Amino acid sequence: MQTRNIPYIVAYRFIVLFVMATALGVVVSLTAIAFIECVSWLNNILLIAPHARVQVLVQQPWLLIAATLLVPTLGGLLVGLMLQKISPSKRPLGPPDAVWAVQLRQPLPSFRAGVVSTVAAIVSLGCGASVGQYGPMVYLGSMAGNQLARLKLQIPNLASVAMACGVAAAIATAFNAPIAGLIFAHEVILRHYSLQAFAPTTVASVTGYFMANVVFERPPLFLVEFAGVTHGYEFMLFALMGVICGFLAVGFMKLILRAPKVAQATGLPPMFRPAAAGFVLGLVALGLPDVLGIGQEVLRFATIEGAFAHWELALLVVAKILVTAMCVGFGFAGGVFSPSLLIGILFGALFWMVLNFFGVPNSGIAVYAICGMMALTSPVIGAPLTTILIVFELTRNYDLTIAAMVGVVFANLLTYRLFGRSLFDVQLASRGLNLSLGRDRGLLENAKVIDQKIDKSPVILGPEQDASAAQQALVAAGRAEAIIIDEKGLYQGVVRLQDTQEYSDTAVMHICDKAWPSFTENTSIWQAMLDLEDFVGEAIPVVQSTTGELIGTVTEASLINAYLSAVHDLRREENEAV
Amino acid sequence: MKQFKFIVGALGVWLLCCTAMAETVTETPTLTVATWGGAYETAQREVMFDAFSAETGVEIRTVAYNGGMDVLQRESVPDVVDMLEADAHLGCGTGALHPFDATTLLDASDGTAPQQDFLPGALLKCGVAHLSFSTLVAFDERAFPGEKPRHIADFFDTTRFPGKRALRKEPSAILEWALLAEGVPRSQVYNLLSTDRGMRLALRRLDTLRGQIVWWSDPDKPAELLADGTVVMASGYNGRFFNAQLNGTPLVMMWDAQIVDRDVWVIPRQTTGQQLDYAKQFVRFATRADLLAELAERIPYGPTRRSAFERIGLHPNAGIPMADHLPTAAYHLRSALFRDTHWYARTAKLRQQRFAEWLAQGE
Repeated sequence: MQTRNIPYIVAYRFIVLFVMATALGVVVSLTAIAFIECVSWLNNILLIAPHARVQVLVQQPWLLIAATLLVPTLGGLLVGLMLQKISPSKRPLGPPDAVWAVQLRQPLPSFRAGVVSTVAAIVSLGCGASVGQYGPMVYLGSMAGNQLARLKLQIPNLASVAMACGVAAAIATAFNAPIAGLIFAHEVILRHYSLQAFAPTTVASVTGYFMANVVFERPPLFLVEFAGVTHGYEFMLFALMGVICGFLAVGFMKLILRAPKVAQATGLPPMFRPAAAGFVLGLVALGLPDVLGIGQEVLRFATIEGAFAHWELALLVVAKILVTAMCVGFGFAGGVFSPSLLIGILFGALFWMVLNFFGVPNSGIAVYAICGMMALTSPVIGAPLTTILIVFELTRNYDLTIAAMVGVVFANLLTYRLFGRSLFDVQLASRGLNLSLGRDRGLLENAKVIDQKIDKSPVILGPEQDASAAQQALVAAGRAEAIIIDEKGLYQGVVRLQDTQEYSDTAVMHICDKAWPSFTENTSIWQAMLDLEDFVGEAIPVVQSTTGELIGTVTEASLINAYLSAVHDLRREENEAV
Repeated sequence: MKQFKFIVGALGVWLLCCTAMAETVTETPTLTVATWGGAYETAQREVMFDAFSAETGVEIRTVAYNGGMDVLQRESVPDVVDMLEADAHLGCGTGALHPFDATTLLDASDGTAPQQDFLPGALLKCGVAHLSFSTLVAFDERAFPGEKPRHIADFFDTTRFPGKRALRKEPSAILEWALLAEGVPRSQVYNLLSTDRGMRLALRRLDTLRGQIVWWSDPDKPAELLADGTVVMASGYNGRFFNAQLNGTPLVMMWDAQIVDRDVWVIPRQTTGQQLDYAKQFVRFATRADLLAELAERIPYGPTRRSAFERIGLHPNAGIPMADHLPTAAYHLRSALFRDTHWYARTAKLRQQRFAEWLAQGE
């Protein structure tokens, strides 16, 4: 608001944000295209892509078998080595890390960890692991934004805006879908719609789209012909399919969360887990080559009537869910978006086949396949708006979008109740960032009491001192409460000035208020505010959780200040213009 | 009866061999070129074969060729072959062809080097692609006085467009068309055909035509079959169809889903010594920009040299501007599929196998 009076600051910010967004759009788009090209090149030379596999099928069948088994295994080994030996974070990074950094205004994991994770994702996808490519690309985008935000440009919220720009450009490039990129950055990463972020994100998104579509002329991802929904009751069917997809999505996400525990139970060291998963994947792929990699061909087949038999679809849905959970859980680097698309589209096709089996008149397989694809994917990534827009931008088909929209919302409603807003959010919650009640709680839970103004020299008494001495000390210091510490320096309790007047000869230990709250170095502002609901007093002791030693005291006023300023910051960020 | 035919055939071949030997005895230098016959060969003869003989004194004798690798296993292998690009890759891979040195080609008239003048991918390891042709579907105008077939899916639609179809008895264009008719985008056709599922889908589509197909292998045949009313739609090459149109056959080419491929001059390994020199000389001569343009004026196959495009004028007899009739004309390319010839070469066996199985099912 103040900036309204200072036009040159506005102009400066405007120009910097615009230039930054354009630069990010170009850089992220180029890296995203390079990412896709690398994966596709690897897929071809490593005999993962069907186009390459068929060319050795007749002449060298043994080579094909060897490649199917060895490529994912050795690729897994390489991924394991890279992540455990070179990456400081020792795990692949993805959208949750970007959300974490943006919501808590913290830096991303180190640049090196990001680069290793990205290369590991290229290797994983290149070797046919059943993981997604969009998660790593989203991270790549946020990484670029993060690097740029390290320049000291004197713009509020620059890091969040820059990361959102990078993410938007990545999605816009990957899907040829600028609107979806823009919405994804807000819906998943930023979780608010301030104009300050919206404008640059749009610029980055459009730049990414322009690079992908105009400069490099990348083909659209998914062209489907669809004439329109012919029967009104089909919208009920889309809703029903949405509900079933919701159940499937919950099962899929629960498996993904469980898989790391299974991996741990195998006793394999983390370095060799991806290789083990790769070998199992290879075995499965010998009989069911459709599970390998991203599965562009399978996506297309699912929209063609008669490409699969009922049982094939059912088998593939189950197999893809299992191998994806295994690949992600055992440590391959990659996301869950593309596998979700695949599982969803196969399920949609299956749903249609069942309808057809019962002779229900319908508008054809394509709309059910696409509706299933999006209904299953949206609750996994927690982005209903984005998925609806992706359908719109990929297919440019209005009727198809409306049909998919119905499935998407029902799936999201159900999944939200049974599981949570998305896989990312549940993963973040398990790491201590709970976004289910909005951004405030997440931020406040991660702001610590210990980081506030701590009074290191409160009035301190020994447990055996008597009340009158305590009273004198308190009056002399002008305080209302004294902290009792034993001879080892351990915190014992608090004695209030008014209590010392009643019992002048008693040892303070006997008149201390046992119910007085205390915090540790881990207590969050959120927790502190809950603890202070019925509190009447001046300051709260902060105690080392491991040793029980007193660190200092924090006043109620400074906690309320911290709370208000955090909430105020959030509101200001959400309403920021330029 | 069959035996009798065989004996007559064998006698014919023997006689042919004798005359060939007789010719070599007379010691007029001769180059044998395997090419595709019909209107195409006539045009080649007019534009380049005779001119080559006039310039070098080397006579050109042509032998009939309908594609495939068998030509390299014949008793007398021709000195030069006008091969399909996929076959050229295949032959090159097995070492059956001489490696090709692009620097031996002539520059464009303005001095542009062949590497810049030829279209991307035209200079192969074992040959030089000299023209682009199209495999497409044409229909008999008389058979469909009302609604005309417009989309490739119509080729498979025997309800709306009843009647027999003529197809080349090869697992080639028909596979691509089957998937395109399923609504598969062009960019994904070969990726899908690479899977067992894709191949099955394509052959299933072909099933809808079972019993309605007249097979051909001579490239002049499809136009004839359309002309005499045997079939109502036919696959074929755009040049032959164009020629038939000039001769009054009421056929219409459906450019939707045309498949663009290239013809390549290759020199088989068996060509050696003096013949090899003649062969190299011939390839250099036959890929001159002016001659490629002249050929395109007689039969609408697109040259592979940029400098040749600017020279294409009117058809010598019909007076039609020929640039508009090339497969590579802009409005013909809107739904064109460029054949993935490397994929073709490496999947030849597989495709043959699947096609043979499919044929056997129908018997």
